[in-house]
Amino acid sequence: MKFLAKLGITAALAFGPAAASAQEEPIKFGLLQDFTAVYTFVSGEYNQGQQDYLTLVNEEGGIDGRMFEAIVRDTGNEPQRGIEAYNRAREEGAILFDFLSTPVSRAVVDRAMQDEVVLITPLHGRGDAAAGQTFPYVFPVMATYWSQAAILADYINQNQGGLEGKKIALVHIDSPFGREPTPILEDLAEQEGFEFRAFGYASPGNEQSAVWSEVRRYRPDAVFIWGAGGGQSVSVREAIRNGISAENIYSVVWLAETDAQNVGAEAMTGVKRYEAVATGTDTPIVSRIMDTVIEPGLGAGDRANVGSSYYNIGVATMAVAVEAARLALENGDGPLDGTALKEGFESIENFDAEGLMPPITITPEDHQGGGYGRVAQWNGEEWEPVSDWTTAYQDVVQSEIDAGAAEYSGGN
Amino acid sequence: MAYFLELLANGALVGLMYSLAALGFVLIYKSSGVPNLAQGALIMAAAYAAWLMVSWGLPIWAAVIAAAGVMFLFGLLVERLLLRPMVGQPVIMVVMLTLGLEILLRGLVPGLLGAAPKPLDLGIGLAPVIVGDVFMNRAYLIGGVVAVILIAASMLFFRTRLGTKLRAVSDDHVASWAVGLSVERAIAVSWGIAGIAAVGAGVLWGSVQGVDWTLSSLLFPAVAVVILGGVDSIKGVFVGGLAVGILGSVIPGYLDAYAGGSTRDVVTSLIILLTIMIRPYGIFGREDIERI
Amino acid sequence: MFYRLSGIHHTGYESARRLWPVPADRWQVGAVLVLALAAPFLVSNLYLGSYILPWLIWSAAALSLSLLMGLAGQLHFGYAAVMAIGAYTSIHLSQAGVPFALSLLGAGVVSALIGTVFGAAALRVKGLYLVMATLAMQYLVDWVIVNVPAISGGAQATLRTPTVTFLGLPVETLTQRYYLALAWAVLLTLFFMNVKRTSFGRALIAIRDKDFAAAVIGVDPFRYKLMAFLTSSFVGGVTGAILAFCYYRAVTPEQFSFNVSIQLVAMVLVGGLGSAIGGFLGAGFVLLLPIILTNVIADLGSSGWIDISRNLMSHLPLIFYGAMIIGFLLFEPLGLAKIYDNIRKYFLVWPFRHSRS
Repeated sequence: MKFLAKLGITAALAFGPAAASAQEEPIKFGLLQDFTAVYTFVSGEYNQGQQDYLTLVNEEGGIDGRMFEAIVRDTGNEPQRGIEAYNRAREEGAILFDFLSTPVSRAVVDRAMQDEVVLITPLHGRGDAAAGQTFPYVFPVMATYWSQAAILADYINQNQGGLEGKKIALVHIDSPFGREPTPILEDLAEQEGFEFRAFGYASPGNEQSAVWSEVRRYRPDAVFIWGAGGGQSVSVREAIRNGISAENIYSVVWLAETDAQNVGAEAMTGVKRYEAVATGTDTPIVSRIMDTVIEPGLGAGDRANVGSSYYNIGVATMAVAVEAARLALENGDGPLDGTALKEGFESIENFDAEGLMPPITITPEDHQGGGYGRVAQWNGEEWEPVSDWTTAYQDVVQSEIDAGAAEYSGGN
Repeated sequence: MAYFLELLANGALVGLMYSLAALGFVLIYKSSGVPNLAQGALIMAAAYAAWLMVSWGLPIWAAVIAAAGVMFLFGLLVERLLLRPMVGQPVIMVVMLTLGLEILLRGLVPGLLGAAPKPLDLGIGLAPVIVGDVFMNRAYLIGGVVAVILIAASMLFFRTRLGTKLRAVSDDHVASWAVGLSVERAIAVSWGIAGIAAVGAGVLWGSVQGVDWTLSSLLFPAVAVVILGGVDSIKGVFVGGLAVGILGSVIPGYLDAYAGGSTRDVVTSLIILLTIMIRPYGIFGREDIERI
Repeated sequence: MFYRLSGIHHTGYESARRLWPVPADRWQVGAVLVLALAAPFLVSNLYLGSYILPWLIWSAAALSLSLLMGLAGQLHFGYAAVMAIGAYTSIHLSQAGVPFALSLLGAGVVSALIGTVFGAAALRVKGLYLVMATLAMQYLVDWVIVNVPAISGGAQATLRTPTVTFLGLPVETLTQRYYLALAWAVLLTLFFMNVKRTSFGRALIAIRDKDFAAAVIGVDPFRYKLMAFLTSSFVGGVTGAILAFCYYRAVTPEQFSFNVSIQLVAMVLVGGLGSAIGGFLGAGFVLLLPIILTNVIADLGSSGWIDISRNLMSHLPLIFYGAMIIGFLLFEPLGLAKIYDNIRKYFLVWPFRHSRS
């Protein structure tokens, strides 16, 4: 029974209806992620955070007595397994899905919209899904890669003596994900008068020496590294080795404590990254998770992970989802289905998960929540924020979102 | 010019690190004719083994030696349990078996030891080695030296008594049996040595990119190296590694800006294709004469 | 008892060469076909849409590959790339307004043309080298798809299938898509079983067994190897298009990655080289086993039967899957088709112990 308690909220109830409490059916979320292939660098901690937060909500009595239940399955990053897991979880009554896998999310977008269930795509999936009118059931919830690039550029503009005349290099994994910030940075280069060049390295990025020789000769003032997993620490090492000061390295959200250990905690001091949520266990929600979930042994995984970057991102995604469910239950009188939950999401206003994340406001038009975030710097031990929660160049981002959404509406 | 030299130098060093990954493949193919597509997974397992030893508190050099011991035994075990029953089966069956082993290891090792990337610090440091205007990667430099040592050791090994037996076995199984050599033991030893070679590759690459399952994708460049060099030639591993590394560094270094994407995999693929079309048995490989 | 053989006398080549000379086999095939036709009314959308439909399409893909690997003996580790060419061609043609039936045909033709280039390597090498050459071509095709936005569908690299009608019949709901896939799978199975009985099929088998020997008896290896690649790539391309239109409906490059090629080879080998029923069994095994294992293990985990970490639990299907591939190769190298055959032979003479054949 210890294990049941440990899992707490996972599928237990779904397969033993008799075990369901006397209260109403739990609200089910399908967390169908990739635990074995490309996303292993993040999915373990991320999912642990999601589960622990839902346990916290349940331990605190749920929302109006309604409990939450996570259906967790591995998809191996394979679209056909994702589709199966999606269909099965939907049959079990899940109304919200999170795949944390760009290929699977892209394969499910049309289905989710047809079936009228909510698909959250925090930090993955289509960037243009922020266009709520075109993608009514898809919620990126956090800043898209476009917004992240804009925030990083804005940080240089505000704190590093302006963008004008600077040289910025984007060193990215050669995949659609890696190329995503290119149009934004090109537009900004024109608008702000800086020079920009993109350098791609071959996937999976364990060997990038040729690219960095070229980057060094470009003599950039700032380097944006846009990859994931092991490739990120290789990028940081190569950058430092090629004489680029750690202060001038800026990373997409995928750079965490494990990468710092990998590079060497000392050597990486000064590297900056976009940050979607606060790190550490100081925020009220995470410290409550510590007291209510981890201490009694209800946690979903290794307690050393609690408070890590990816763990907290997982917590934040579920905090937003639970908030949306709360609003949906408050506003609506019908049953809590996908449509009600979608409206719940769209009525989220200035929600910051008690300081864990920037205050986001989701509207029927903007499913990104404003594209907020901040820049954090590695100080040798942990990530330390060096800017306030902010949003930047949303006009440029919006035009990119509109272009993508228009293309989608046009049949693609 | 310095740019070209830098691409050349780093490419050559990376190529030698690929040779390290390819060495085990060649050793096994040379002795038993088995194309071991699980060599990438062996490298991953070796890196995990070294990481595990370090996390138990062993110093890194002791961890590497212990991992080498573990992987040697593991190689013997794989040969005894999986490959020996497959003797005489068509090559596709053996290829698929090694792929099955690769899938198994990719589930088992990260499943038991954790899938998130793990650091493996060799204490190499980040500062580059600067010669003139050329920045060389210190980790690759050390990796290249280790690769050369291991390749040289393998070549010398084939001159020892056991190595001579191995050569005889790789020449002709039946004739070796006839003169009283234990073909089985020779093949098993080659698997064990391939396990040790995997430790070299796993530890060096693991220190560069972190230890996780993606280490098993080293198989693709390793395959390019052995195809170019010749699947049964240790000399070929050395030359093939240099060529794959240099071409995969210099050509993308000049071409990427125009191709609109990273061309390294294209270069690697073309090396494989062109070698197979022009000289299938590679630079130093032995041409098979087929009889009806 | 179960397979009555009494009364089966072959008095001419016609009857001796029938696909299923034993009535019991005919009954089985008929029953399976009826069940397949009635499936949309028998099973829920979950099982139809995420198990039976993909199983049918992947079986068709496995059969297409088995044509090349099983009959002609040419190894191919880049078959997903051939299917990708078919999928992308069909979508681009349909978007340009070409009727769906014609774009399916176009998908086959383009795949056949490019797929035959893959075959050029087979003229030069075989075995391991052919594996490596086709693998390299897989990487080249992937690279082209990812790096040419006009093919992959712009910045998001996603291409949605337009709404189409097949010869006037709409292909929109799950049932409609299922029937189209079923029709293609049945057609391909019939083609596959019949091709073995033609001179073309026998020539391929001669090449497979020994190409030099085949050349000696007058089978031109050059011509037949290329034709094997041509035929197999054509049907593979159409299957890729069917996969895109009937199942995924939004195509991304990852759906046709190198891993998928490996899975297809595994399907053919686990099922049994060159066997029609093996194609279906192998596809079912490779495609559905990880899914079923994931669900079973999750159920066991949540009911407290296995007390292990989340991480190990999600890796268990991969472990079992790898172990079962190894197990099959070690204990039944001829695949699931051979196991089926053994069972059939057992019942053929039941209640006696030994079969004649």
